[in-house]
Amino acid sequence: MGSINGKDIHKVVVACDAGMGSSVMLASQLRKQLKKFSVTVEHTPVNSIPGDADVVITHNGLAARARAAAPDKVVVPFQVFLGDPAVTAVVKAIESGGEVSG
Amino acid sequence: MAMSYTPQVQGSGFKAQVQRIGGHLAGMVMPNIGAFIAWGLITALFIPTGWLPNEDFAKLVDPMIFSLLPILIGYTGGRIVHGQRGAVVGAVATVGMIVGAEIPMFLGAMIMGPAAAYLIKLFDKLVEDRIRPGFEMLVDNFSAGIVGGAMALFGVWGAGPVVGRLSDWAGSGVDWLIGQNLLPVASVLVEPAKVLFLNNAINHGVLSPLAVAQAQETGKSILFMIESNPGPGLGLLLAFFLFGPRSLRPSVPAAGIIHFLGGIHEIYFPYVLMKPRLILATIAGGAAGVGTFMVTGAGLVATPSPGSIFAYAAVTPRGGWFGMVLGVLVATVVSFVVASALLGFGKLNGEPKADEDAAAETDDPTSTGPATAEPTTGTRDRETSPAVARSATAEG
Repeated sequence: MGSINGKDIHKVVVACDAGMGSSVMLASQLRKQLKKFSVTVEHTPVNSIPGDADVVITHNGLAARARAAAPDKVVVPFQVFLGDPAVTAVVKAIESGGEVSG
Repeated sequence: MAMSYTPQVQGSGFKAQVQRIGGHLAGMVMPNIGAFIAWGLITALFIPTGWLPNEDFAKLVDPMIFSLLPILIGYTGGRIVHGQRGAVVGAVATVGMIVGAEIPMFLGAMIMGPAAAYLIKLFDKLVEDRIRPGFEMLVDNFSAGIVGGAMALFGVWGAGPVVGRLSDWAGSGVDWLIGQNLLPVASVLVEPAKVLFLNNAINHGVLSPLAVAQAQETGKSILFMIESNPGPGLGLLLAFFLFGPRSLRPSVPAAGIIHFLGGIHEIYFPYVLMKPRLILATIAGGAAGVGTFMVTGAGLVATPSPGSIFAYAAVTPRGGWFGMVLGVLVATVVSFVVASALLGFGKLNGEPKADEDAAAETDDPTSTGPATAEPTTGTRDRETSPAVARSATAEG
């Protein structure tokens, strides 16, 4: 729903079912990739996405729940946990500007 | 939103609903896994049949499983419903369930924690704006104390015994399944549910509470091993590595390590979702693993979480290694063989766009010949294929 420019992204939230397993893994990868930028990366359960999130990244299988839990956020669903193009696109947008829509 | 593209709004809505309910169950247990591990390690080490029997240390086991773990679950359940106040009331109420039943009250805690928190939430809403200035603290503290205390009394008197009975029935149901050698059939439900991200709900919401009660009685439980066996996922990933679409193969070794050693099973779900017929492989692997555990009398003393081989090793009772290792191995091999066959031992993927091959769906799972296109069952493939996921990004 909606879209956001990469330059306006300050907080990326990676959400998974429990907020303890896969989201932590992906969040730590993203943190490494985005170290140079003033972007915080958090991991949370998909049911409790924080209100100040700019972009929510979650697996396709959980996207419906993420959208229900955070209807006003940009939700980016991805397919595979390692090197997914949707996630790469978010990183690219943050690095060099560009729209992220979800 | 999702409306614009998804052909299965109903399906995914229902799935999300089930996930959400299951997520709440798991959400009460999972933040407390550290305490489960402390209990599991102490149990595995110090009970009379443990690795380093020690009477004094073994005294920790009962208070942990009967009091600490249920109270933590009730506390966390209350917190999910109504923050810190809900947590406190949920914990107090859970003590009633503990006293009212003679078994580890996980189920009771999962019911009573959130229920008591919901009551205090209702009360808070009722008196909101009606308390005179300066009396807020008085009302807050006493309302929490009275509601928590009353729910605890109710737990001792009514709810505890009832839920205790229910847990007993569930336990005997499981015993019956084990007695009838039907436990492997559970994999038919568990494995597909798992890749729909119900893994935590099933393992921590349903199986673990039963398993803990069983382990407390008999020293170990096979129920810990039904969902969490890392074998089926490993076999599937190995098959992908050797016979999967070439574009996906490079990512597989890392996924295998994260899955098998790190215990994050979610990493293999996408590989199944891309080729849903591969669910047959994890079902077969899972069932074979459970069957092996059953025949060898394997069991674990506590929740292996995350489902890594290291976690498995840590909570394996003395003398239980053979069955545990064999079950994981059998599950891996069976899942690998079935998945390899379903992938046509690599021959199905001659065409370049093999990773999105809705067309490669075959009628005959053992077919090694060129893909025979199957017209109707491609929907799921299409729904979950990476290309569509990307377009969903654009539209959603």
